[in-house]
Amino acid sequence: MPADIERLYDEHAQALFAFLLNLTRDEDDTRDVLQEVFVKLARQPELLRAARDARAFLIRLAHNAAIDLMRRRSVRTRHNEQFGAEKISPFAATADPDETAFRDELSAALGELPPDQRAVVHLKLWEGLTFEQIATVLEIPQNTAASRYRYGLDKLRDRLRPIYEEIK
Amino acid sequence: MNRDEQFENRLSRQPVKPVPPAWRAEILSAAERAADSVHASRITRHVPWWRELFWPCPQAWAALATAWLLIVGLNVVSRESLPPTLARRVVPPSPQIRDLLKQQERLFAELVGPLEKSVADRPKPATPQPRSARREEFLSA
Repeated sequence: MPADIERLYDEHAQALFAFLLNLTRDEDDTRDVLQEVFVKLARQPELLRAARDARAFLIRLAHNAAIDLMRRRSVRTRHNEQFGAEKISPFAATADPDETAFRDELSAALGELPPDQRAVVHLKLWEGLTFEQIATVLEIPQNTAASRYRYGLDKLRDRLRPIYEEIK
Repeated sequence: MNRDEQFENRLSRQPVKPVPPAWRAEILSAAERAADSVHASRITRHVPWWRELFWPCPQAWAALATAWLLIVGLNVVSRESLPPTLARRVVPPSPQIRDLLKQQERLFAELVGPLEKSVADRPKPATPQPRSARREEFLSA
């Protein structure tokens, strides 16, 4: 196996895992997609050589694989939006009850967002990407990335306002 | 910092779950298997040209080659079994046969006549005449 794969895993698996878990809300699906990404890289190492930003390229691969999975799954569930509305939280557990309540609400609110908004919100908030980078990664126009973020954030704010004001 | 930025900061500070440690070995071993299978398929792809030529059905090619060898072998064997002078020997005709042939030739010439007709016997080619001349011929008749 190319040593590059191990290095890539160590450098990027955490970010890909969080993104995929937020997107799929299913640990098995996350694992499948993550494995699919690294298997693809092992089979075609030349893919990454052409990429300027490895993280952005890997997120794009993961996103495309997750979208494919969601499309396959939507045939079964009929509604794409049901995908990700499950109870699996992408956030770490904490002993603080206020934080736990906030993270649970945030996780539920994220789960209610459409997957395209959820992807943009995740990349902006938890990956720290700019709208330009998000647009490149998700292969969408920059304005679309910005508007999806605004819509998503507005929904989160509306949903989380009571608990946010309470624990602020 | 306005309220929106505070809200965004609050969200972005939420730590995400760590990737399960056990996944590393599983995913990397799956990637290793995939890389090995690609490597193996690349090795098998580099076969000599003659093997690629015969690859689709070597039995059929072998049967065809055997049939050709059999044909060539039979040909050689049958040529060797013939007497060597049989094909090349030319028997000169006897004087009686020569006389008989000349007699038949003369008889044939008498029956058929000369092959080339004389120039006077040949029919003239039909040349079209002007219609007015024909009309005069018709009227005079």
